[in-house]
Order: sequence, then C-alpha cells, then structure tokens
Amino acid sequence: MKYLIIGGSAAGVACAETLRKHDKSSEIAVISDEVFPLYSRCLLTYLLAGSIDESKLYFKDKTFYEDNNIKFYLCKKAVSIDRKEKSITLKDRTKISYDKLLLATGASPKLVDVPGIDKKGVFTVRKIDDARSIMKMLNKVERIAVLGGGLIGLRDAYALRQRGKEVAVIVKSPQVLSQMVDKQAASLIAARLEKNGIKIMTGLAAKEIIGKEFVEEVLLDNGEKIKCQMIIIGKGVKANTELAASCGLKVEEGIVVDEFLKTSDENIFAAGDCAQTYDIARGERRINALWPCAVEQGERAALNMLDKKIKYDGSLSMNSVDFFGLASISMGVTKPKEEKDYEIISQVKNNIYKKFVLKENVIVGMVLVGDIKPAGIISILIKNRIDVSSIKHLLLDDNFDYAKIMPLVAKYKDKFKLEECKDTIITY
Amino acid sequence: MTKDLLKKKKTKDIKIYCDITKCVGCRSCEIACAVEHSKSKDIFSAIKEKALPKKRVKAENINNKIISLHCQHCEDAPCIKACMSGALSKDEKTGATLQDKDKCVGCWMCVMSCPFGAIVQDVENHIAVKCDLCPDREDFACVAACPTGALFVGTKEEFEKKVKKK
Repeated sequence: MKYLIIGGSAAGVACAETLRKHDKSSEIAVISDEVFPLYSRCLLTYLLAGSIDESKLYFKDKTFYEDNNIKFYLCKKAVSIDRKEKSITLKDRTKISYDKLLLATGASPKLVDVPGIDKKGVFTVRKIDDARSIMKMLNKVERIAVLGGGLIGLRDAYALRQRGKEVAVIVKSPQVLSQMVDKQAASLIAARLEKNGIKIMTGLAAKEIIGKEFVEEVLLDNGEKIKCQMIIIGKGVKANTELAASCGLKVEEGIVVDEFLKTSDENIFAAGDCAQTYDIARGERRINALWPCAVEQGERAALNMLDKKIKYDGSLSMNSVDFFGLASISMGVTKPKEEKDYEIISQVKNNIYKKFVLKENVIVGMVLVGDIKPAGIISILIKNRIDVSSIKHLLLDDNFDYAKIMPLVAKYKDKFKLEECKDTIITY
Repeated sequence: MTKDLLKKKKTKDIKIYCDITKCVGCRSCEIACAVEHSKSKDIFSAIKEKALPKKRVKAENINNKIISLHCQHCEDAPCIKACMSGALSKDEKTGATLQDKDKCVGCWMCVMSCPFGAIVQDVENHIAVKCDLCPDREDFACVAACPTGALFVGTKEEFEKKVKKK
C-alpha cells in the first residue's frame, strides 16, 4: 500500500502517525507547502507575544518523520490530482502515486475587500512566515489595528499588546467573539482586554487603508481615522478546497466527507480545517477548524484508509482562550437562534459567568468565563448526548466535578464511549 | 496493602483505582500529592513555599459517595489530541499520559477536553497540572497516604476481584 498525505499540520501528522502505528511496512509520505516542519500553528501568537521562541513551535519531535519511516516533502505544493491514475502532481512537476490519499490541506485566512490592502504593513497570522515578517517589522511599529474581533483577531491583538504595542481591534459585530460566545461572556472578555490597554471598537468596519508605501492610517465606516503602522487581518479562515474541487470531488464550504471521512472518491479522504464534517451539537454538516478536531479526524481517517471501517461520530466546536488571566471556554451551541426550543441555565457571579444550553435535557452548548474547571466533564455530556435532567440543578455549582456525573455514567454506561469512564464506577 | 503492591508502578495494565465504598473523603491523598509535588517534599516546609504546591488528585463526592480521582491515563487520551503545543504525550511502554512542562503554554485545551476534570490550571506558572505518577518515588504518594485502603494499584481484574470479595 502507498499512503499519501497532503498537509503536514495537525490532521496530516496525526494521520501519518496512526497509519504507521498500524502498518509498519507500507510506504507513507507527507507533503507540506510550508518552510518549517512540524510546527503548531496555534503557537504562532505565542511566538508573536514573545512568550516562546521558534524552537518551541514543534508539536512533535524534530525526528518524527525519520523515526516513523515517513517520507516527508517540505516546501512542496501539490497542484493537481489525477484520480484515474491515482497520482498527484507537485508544482515542480514531480508525480507521486498513491493507493490511499488524505487531503489535509487546511485553511487560509479570510481577507477583507478594502482599498489599500496591498500596502506594506498589512498582515495575516497563519504561517510561520507571517509571524517572522511581523516580528521583523515590529520595532518600527507603535500602533496596530486588528481587523476582526473573533478568536483569531483577539489572539493576535493580545499577542501584540504583550509586546507593548498600542492595539485597537475593529469589530464589525456589536460584540467580540460573536461566533464563539454570547453577549454576556463577550462583555466580560472585552472588559478584561480594555482594562489591559486593548481598544475594542465594535460595530465598525475598515473602509480604506491609507498610506503611501506603508500603512499610515485606517479609515473606518463612521469616518473616523485610526493612526497605525501595522494592520493585522484576523477575520477567520476559509477551507482550502481548490485542489479537491479541481479534480471533481464534492465540495461545499469544505471538502464533503462521509462518516468515514471519505470524500466522494473512495480512495481519497479529508480531515482537519478543510473537511466539512458532522457537528454533534448542531446536528448538521459544518467545518470545525480546530486543533483537537483536526487531530481526531486525522487519526480516524487513517483507520479508514487502513480499511478498518470505524465511524467518526462527528466534531464538537470548542474553544479555549485566556486573555490577561481571564480563561474562557465555549462549546457547541452558545447562542441558539430559536430560544424557545432550548433551555438556558446561566449565572453571573463575581465576574464568573456560566451558561449551559440544553435541548430536551441534553446539553448542546456551554460558555464558561472565569472558571473553566467543569469544561471537560461537560464535553463528554455533550459528545455522548446524555440526558442530564437528574443533575441539572448541580450545573452551576462551584464544586461541579466528575463525581457529580457518576450516577449518569453508571446509568448510561454504554453511551459513554471512553473506556476509562467505566473504570471509575466499578464500585459505584 | 502489602509493600510490594504499593511499589507497583504504572504499566500498560496497572493503574490506580479507587474503591468508592471505602473512600471517606479524608483528603489524605490530596495532601500527600501536593507535598510530593512541593519543592521540599515536606509538609511543614511545603505550606510555606511561595507558590503553594498543587495537588493533582481530588476527593469528590455525590450523595455520600466519594471518589479520589486523578488522571486516568486514558489509552485514547482526549487531552493529548487537544494539546496543540506537543506538551502532552503517551508513554508507549507504561501507558502513562506525560506532560512536558517546558512545552506547555497554558492554552487550557487539555482542561477543555479531559472528561474527568483531572487537569487543572496552575495560574501562577500559567501551565496545566496533572498526575505525573510520582516520578521521584517508587510508589504513589496518594496510594501510600490512603488510610482506608480505598486507593488500589493493580490491574483491572485484580481490582474487580478485590472489591468482589467483600
């Protein structure tokens, strides 16, 4: 068997590792168009902030590919797939054949369509090159405008504020993190950011980027101008689906896969930020461009490339952020559209906010700000779709811990998939 | 518990179990764990350490049923999948879920995904903290400190056999 993986980040590497674990002899190759191997994209803002250096960017041992006898192509871009011949072609025209192929092509930053975007000093933070370029310029920069108040924009802003820069975040929505949390949580998080010197400007959008060669100002749609020498676009990502689409695979917002992470071609699989999978909490197909989902999908895709036919239950959107010591975690549906179909259990107390969103006694979403302890326990209640009616009254308890769900683990033993859950209740 | 059993270290099949019927919630395990992870490893010095040592085990209860719970070192560990800095990994020989503190950046993705709530925040050092199976000693501090014999080291079969006997 010849296994080929396009993409060397979370999903691609997890797939390669799992393939090798189960198949010691087959040929496995990973192609990456990056200049730096095995780095964690999520760590780039930590690099920007100056809290780590490049040597800490690795999420696997530097010798991972050698150790696992995996052929690795660095700085190579796959440009086409010939599904009939079962081969791919690289930009340098090298052809590589495969028996099973994984597309882990990831995602790219969404850009904004405003005049002046091509000026020097406008960046996105997605690849190591972006971070390096920003840092090269940073000592000449005092003021930075971040376009986008989502997770990416705020993480970028937080990082650059830690470098002592004057940072303003321009947010189109009336609140920050509008995809991730509700208004209440957003106001707590925004307050923490503002308290630490990050200016949050909601309900505004950039209209024009002004400057000669370099960025000098950004004009907002209310006529206000903000002086800045650097602009970071942190507007979220879109799946890299070009390669899949060009060879006729089914593509919607992402590459469409079935419950085995297989695309519309039986020899081609997809995982990670480029793949549109089933969302457990929402009950619909969606891209959850998140590290844990990418790893899980990469592993699961590998098992199915090995023909083990193991279903992937789907992904759960979940995010964790920590700004100036205020930790927040969100999961699943945090802002239901039709409120009447949902039950909301929430509380704000001493700047700690907890919110649980339930549908027919099953938790489908959660927001925690300031106290994130119960997050993981709630995650298994969401993932395994457990009826929580008997412990509902405990959800807001400061001491909510695993013991509180033990009666549920005992009652719905078969629903809890993790074997170790069963170990805890042997004597329950 | 015999001394030999105390000395058993984690291997793929051996782990620490808690007999809920025997746990009284005395929190001896919590204290022993914190002391073991202090600089001095001595309780009277430990309580004076600037950053108080952190426990990685917790006595938790519901309806008078108490469990001493720590990292279960899951075979298919969700925390390792979630760890985006490569700080968490699986020791293939012992089955232990290990943490490289130097690599942890405190993103709390592991806290978000641990089904047991067994990974906690060390806010002072901004890193995650979890059971490391006491690398500095031959046995486990929590098990050694358990006065009721609720904590047990062995295989699942051994534990099941032991609790059935009663």
